[in-house]
Amino acid sequence: MEARGTTDDRLLHQRVVGGDESALGEVHDRLYPLVLALALRVTRDRVVAEDIVQEVFVTFWERPLAFDPDRGSLRSWLATIAHRRAVDHVRTEERHRVSALGSRLAEPEPSPLEDWVLAADEANRVRLAVSRLPGGLREAIELAYYRGRTYRQAAEELGLPEGTVKSRIRLGLRRLADELAEKEV
Amino acid sequence: MDRHAGPGQEIPGTSDPVTRLRLDALVEASAEPPPGALGRLLTATRSTRRPALTTGFAASYAGRVAAMESLLGSASPADWSQKIVEGWTLQQLVAHLAATDSLVAAAIGAPVAGPPLAANEVLSRTADMIAFADGQPPERTRADWRAQADAICERAGSMEAATPIAPGGVSFPVSDHLLARMLETWIHTEDAATVIGLPLPRPTSEHLHQTADFCARLLPWTMLFSGVDGGGRAVRLTLTGPGGGTWHIPLDVTRTAVPDEGSPVDAQITCDVVAFCFLLGGRGAPATFPADLQGDTALARDVLETAPAMSGP
Repeated sequence: MEARGTTDDRLLHQRVVGGDESALGEVHDRLYPLVLALALRVTRDRVVAEDIVQEVFVTFWERPLAFDPDRGSLRSWLATIAHRRAVDHVRTEERHRVSALGSRLAEPEPSPLEDWVLAADEANRVRLAVSRLPGGLREAIELAYYRGRTYRQAAEELGLPEGTVKSRIRLGLRRLADELAEKEV
Repeated sequence: MDRHAGPGQEIPGTSDPVTRLRLDALVEASAEPPPGALGRLLTATRSTRRPALTTGFAASYAGRVAAMESLLGSASPADWSQKIVEGWTLQQLVAHLAATDSLVAAAIGAPVAGPPLAANEVLSRTADMIAFADGQPPERTRADWRAQADAICERAGSMEAATPIAPGGVSFPVSDHLLARMLETWIHTEDAATVIGLPLPRPTSEHLHQTADFCARLLPWTMLFSGVDGGGRAVRLTLTGPGGGTWHIPLDVTRTAVPDEGSPVDAQITCDVVAFCFLLGGRGAPATFPADLQGDTALARDVLETAPAMSGP
């Protein structure tokens, strides 16, 4: 049910399985920001998050066969591991804190992966940032994300070539990232 | 269906569109890892799983050694005692690879794993190595095999590709012997992956092509070994898929298979590149091998029928 890995994912995976260190470097450089952001979001501690990022990439290098490009994309897989590790970390911290206090308070369960959503204030900031995008970029983003259109459907509705829609979405995402980065942790 | 069909369907925890949008924006962000992050990562990974040599004629063998090691890294304690092939457990299979590798190591003057070499022959060497590994922790067998493989790659790196060596008594250039080791390591990794239930990606197309080329050049030899007379005839072999290609193969061991340039042939064989390499390696039945045959189909069938002749255990 999840999307399959891209051709690029497959080639990088082949090379990592074959012990090609430069392929690991490529994956690292491409996906570091995402993996860090995921870890940071849960732990809210930059040093801890950077350690988690390193662990995630080490895991991929040591056991690359745990990733199966037929079952999902590489970024999704790495993101899942990062999220899990971060949640584990927070849980362990929480446990330590609780036992240090000598309390018998129930441990709060971290939200399961599937239900994970942005906090309301951050979601509002994302929506606000989208509304401030230049018209062409905003339209494309809104169709693709808020209304769940495929690239092709969005292209038809906008009367534009699919490639143009894709690049507008890309550009829009990049603008959003810049806008939101200023307010990051 | 395809992830390119629409954006953002794949990050975990992102059934919510705004969350998906935020994460996709992070991926698109031009942010780069902080300086030193990659260096720290590589320091960590080099100490846990050594990278493979990626240049020179040993690279495709080194790549398959690394792939086997990734598989072993995912193997549970129970997997190590699973029967994989030839009645061997995973540990015994690794000992078998180390045994066959050790004949190459000895032939090129690299340090030999396991007990001192008694015979330059695969079966008895395998028996000795399996006896040696018996009672040892699997990690030890794995470490011995890997250290020897690394020593072979390192030693080969200082040799001319064409240097003839005769491990197991068969004289070929050292580069071809390493391609034979690549093929066997690959096939046994696939054997183990199938039993354990882990999907194994294929070698890179560059490595696959080198092995396919080796297998194509072996065809006159497999015919000869099987006592089938090629009679001065030639076939065109087209291997499809990444790493494939087309070869003109005179069925005569005194001549060399070359990339096809349209010279006349008696028969044409077209098949999948991976299936062909596996056929040479003794996997798959020649009689039911899926291939498109043209021209002298009896000759083409002889070629396929005899293709596994040089594969060992």
